[in-house]
Amino acid sequence: MRVPLSWLRDYVDIQQTPEQLAERLTLLGMEVQGVDQWGSDWRNVVVGELLTVEKHPFADRLHITTVNVGSGETLHIVCGANNIAPGQRVPVALPGAVLPGDRRIERTEKMGIASEGMLCSGDELKITTDAEGILILPPATRLGVQLSDLYGDVVLDVDVKPNRGDALCLIGLAREVAAATGAVARWPEIVVAETGGPVAQRLKVEVREPELCTRFVGRWITGASIGPSPDTIQMRLQAAGMRPVSNVVDASNYVMLELGKPTHTFDGAAVHDGTIVVRLAQAGERLETLDHVERDLSPDTLIIADTRGPIGIAGVMGGAESEITGATTEIAIESAIFDPVSIRRTGHRYALRSEASLRFEKGQEFRLARLGADRVAQLTLAWAGGSVAAGRVDTATTEPTEARLAFRPRRISKLLGAEISTADQRALLRRVGVETEAAETGARIQVAVEPKPLVVDAGDEETFLAVVPTWRRDLAVEADVAEEVARVRGYETTPAHLPDTVMPAYRPSPLRARNMVRETLAGAGLSEVVTHALVSPMEQARLLWPADDSEPRLPASLAADLEDEIAVTNPLSAQHSVLRRNMAGSLLDVLSLNERQGRSDVAIFEVGKVYGRVQGQPREWVRLGFLLSGSAEPASWNRAARQFDLDDAKGLVELLCRRLGLPQPAYAPDGRGFPFHPGRALLARQEAGRETVVGRVAELHPDVLAEWDVRSQRVVAAEIAIAGLDVATPSSVHVEPIPRFPEAERDLAVIVDRECPAADVEAAIIRHGGGLLRTIRLFDLYRGAPLAASEKSLAYRLVFGAKDRTLTEGEVDEAVADVRRGLEGDLRARLRS
Amino acid sequence: MDFETLSGDLHKLKTRALAEIDQTTDPGALDQLEIQYLGKKGEITAVLRGIGALPAEDRPRFGALANDVGVAVKAALAERGVALRAAAQAERLGSEKVDVTLPGRSVPRGTLHAIPETIEAIAEVFGQFGFVVYEGPEVEDDLTNFQMLNIAPDHPARDLWDTLYVDIPGHLLRTHTSPGQIRVMRSTKPPIRALLPGRCFRYEAVDASHGFEFFQVEGLMVDEGTSMADLKGLLDEFAHALFGPRRTRFRPGYYPFTEPSVAFDVECIVCGGVGCPACSKSGWMTILGAGMVHPVVLQYGGIDPEKYQGFAFGMGVERISNLRHSVPDLRYYLENDLRFLEQFR
Repeated sequence: MRVPLSWLRDYVDIQQTPEQLAERLTLLGMEVQGVDQWGSDWRNVVVGELLTVEKHPFADRLHITTVNVGSGETLHIVCGANNIAPGQRVPVALPGAVLPGDRRIERTEKMGIASEGMLCSGDELKITTDAEGILILPPATRLGVQLSDLYGDVVLDVDVKPNRGDALCLIGLAREVAAATGAVARWPEIVVAETGGPVAQRLKVEVREPELCTRFVGRWITGASIGPSPDTIQMRLQAAGMRPVSNVVDASNYVMLELGKPTHTFDGAAVHDGTIVVRLAQAGERLETLDHVERDLSPDTLIIADTRGPIGIAGVMGGAESEITGATTEIAIESAIFDPVSIRRTGHRYALRSEASLRFEKGQEFRLARLGADRVAQLTLAWAGGSVAAGRVDTATTEPTEARLAFRPRRISKLLGAEISTADQRALLRRVGVETEAAETGARIQVAVEPKPLVVDAGDEETFLAVVPTWRRDLAVEADVAEEVARVRGYETTPAHLPDTVMPAYRPSPLRARNMVRETLAGAGLSEVVTHALVSPMEQARLLWPADDSEPRLPASLAADLEDEIAVTNPLSAQHSVLRRNMAGSLLDVLSLNERQGRSDVAIFEVGKVYGRVQGQPREWVRLGFLLSGSAEPASWNRAARQFDLDDAKGLVELLCRRLGLPQPAYAPDGRGFPFHPGRALLARQEAGRETVVGRVAELHPDVLAEWDVRSQRVVAAEIAIAGLDVATPSSVHVEPIPRFPEAERDLAVIVDRECPAADVEAAIIRHGGGLLRTIRLFDLYRGAPLAASEKSLAYRLVFGAKDRTLTEGEVDEAVADVRRGLEGDLRARLRS
Repeated sequence: MDFETLSGDLHKLKTRALAEIDQTTDPGALDQLEIQYLGKKGEITAVLRGIGALPAEDRPRFGALANDVGVAVKAALAERGVALRAAAQAERLGSEKVDVTLPGRSVPRGTLHAIPETIEAIAEVFGQFGFVVYEGPEVEDDLTNFQMLNIAPDHPARDLWDTLYVDIPGHLLRTHTSPGQIRVMRSTKPPIRALLPGRCFRYEAVDASHGFEFFQVEGLMVDEGTSMADLKGLLDEFAHALFGPRRTRFRPGYYPFTEPSVAFDVECIVCGGVGCPACSKSGWMTILGAGMVHPVVLQYGGIDPEKYQGFAFGMGVERISNLRHSVPDLRYYLENDLRFLEQFR
């Protein structure tokens, strides 16, 4: 809320500089987000006196004036306005002046006559809305004074929090200033001179929804004349960020900013039969609102109607037909209390939020209905004349008294961690208008209210009752009293103390395994990315990344039930409207973006979530995704370039398994084709039932690369589920004693069919290796002469050993012979050695 | 044979051997010379065999002489050997000179992203004070995200959290990490010191300082006497750990799920508190929101607000990272331009 200080001073004395005041308010919880100089954009605009005003010889519309700006020199200024006469004091923009909107004024020539500056209208200065005439200043205004010194103001931009609707007005902020500085807030004198007949003869009000409109106060004014409001009022409204409209509308807006009470003024002639009905809209009813939009009213909309139909949406916006116009003379004033929830829903329904609805949504002090009606009547009378009908129409004249809220001073000290004496607490509360009185023993303490109320018995603990001012709708529980004590005392006085109570039980961090993965991959040369969880459904559909097998601990029966991706029902854009089922698409986006920036070598990974639903319920899994494109090792003076390939990706998976202490996964070909290279894709997983690493590692299909506009010819990607990425698992390394007896090595070259997977050969070796086989390692792969074209040779180094003895040549030979026979039998392999 | 003749032969042999050793440039040839002169069938050995033909009185003299010659030749062989090896080594080393100013063979090193790294930095500080990490779901239910945090439907404060809803009834994308407070309280009993990092979502148009996806870290401490003073002490430690010895400011804020609520500022990191555009001339930068957990929230967490009290705080990870690394634009984080990422080497 924008608060012109000159206006605020009407309600409270301020001794502080604007900056000091801003800090005090901020520390009290009324955060001042800016201290603006209103009028700082009138540069070099001074007060001048018109000496002469004559017709321009060559242009009927123009005048030639001479102006005294107090410098002794007389300026000749050409002016197009008609409201000027000698002797008037007016704002003069001197050559070199700058006006709002960065408009620069220079010495010019108009129709052959030199003009040394410009006389300014209220609109040009953004002081009033009058664009026709020059702004005529009071006759006593001192000559030569900078206009900004005269009318400039300091405007505080205060961020009033949603719970403090009572402070969304000048009087409310004046109360806060008073609390902060010790000054006293004062109300404007609200007195209505009623000279008309009884209001009941002009206005009848019927509230059919007393739950939604708890009070309606109406007043009537006859014989008003519509015109601009006084310049000083227009200036105030402008400084507060509200556009002046006309004296009657300005009066209503002025009261909203002053008291925080939104009211509405109707053209009385358009209120048929002088009857206002507050009711729900009926199906089919329509209303053209003040913004000239024709709206269909839905039946749960609370409206203001007359005998013919709707004339306003209650608390949100009036109707165009009953708008105050230049011809209006009869004025009906509405000052009502509406149900905050109903107003809020209506505002959302019509996408219409106004300054008025904003205040209604936060709830209104009950007596404001009466005060607002009176104040609008008072100001309308002052600015637009006419006569106010005697009395008010009021549907609920009984105004509630202050509530009592019990609190335990000792409890407040305990919550704040500071010993604050009862006397001090009571004195602090008094500064925000909260009086206190001793409570009887056994008072009921409201610890919590809806939606989870709790009331406890104070027992014999010292208890006081806070007398809650009627405007403080936010004070409902004991903790609210604690906050008042704390903020008036100053949060900065809270002692700083480190917690020294019992520590919680140990809990392994779910981030630990993730951090190991991140560090390992960064150490291997990959850059970590964090991409959007919300992606395009098209992209998901285009990629067709397999969704099955994606969750190591997901029972097979549930895996089949993985349903559609989770979609956002109110997305900001289609690009980000579903939760991703896989990460590969996001990684491709990153690749594509960086290629467009001229990067060809991209090695990235993300440890993030993918999302799905299982039996209608949302599920989230932490995944590792990585993508490799371009050079694994860029060409250097001491090394040739090498492109990333599938083996790099597998190597990374193997590295991670070693780092995490997990068994190495087995690789099974995945020949599905799109989105994979049909011959270069695999499913990595450990033995059934004990999977800790499951995922696909693949070179991507060229069509996928084309879809993403990727230039690189080969892109390798992987998406891996790793047990422990989302739930911490303790590390479990069990050390074997270092072998005491030497091991024996044997090399074995296995010639098999070209299509026979290496994994099958390895499995056969292990199967037939017996208890003495310790490790095997593939060290060569050969195709070509003298082998047949249908053959390949895989060379393995086998290591044999025993815990309790040195193996004899014979034992090792026998074990190798077993392996040979096994390979020959199972795979029809030939052995070279 | 007389002594004179034999000793003359011996002398000649010695002179020849020493000359040949001296002329040798190949360490292998030295071995040959050793065999040629001192081996079992060597020339010097052969002369020595002639000792038997000498008169008995000459034998000791000749023996001593022959020994001297053998020793001298052996010494010469050894000395020459050392010299030749040293020369060979010097030559090899000399020939192996490289341009040491060339760059090394690069070992690939990737980078870690600022968001998880910042979360890690935050978790490290609070971890020292006993805070353990929990995580809550990102697809959260409406009750936990709002009502259990004392944000009723149609509460005006709901405007603070423009929400993205999903096509699962009663669910939404969590607008903050605060629902994790409820989940922690329901899964464990006081004393609680919990930290909840994670991704959040809001219906918010993207610009330099807003995004519809962002990250937060939530903190929660609940025990019998946990007070606002504890909160202040802890936040001061945190601010000093991440931003150095700067002044901090504890002032009232507003959240429906805390009462009293706190906004926590540090002295402007750009201007040091003088006032500049970065801090809207206030000299302060808000780094997080906090407060004492509202009794309604404690009750939804299954905790008796008459017995226990506690505090919660929440901060934007990007905000903390922006301040630590002077990142000018929030969009950098999820865009993943390598020119940004690689600055975090």
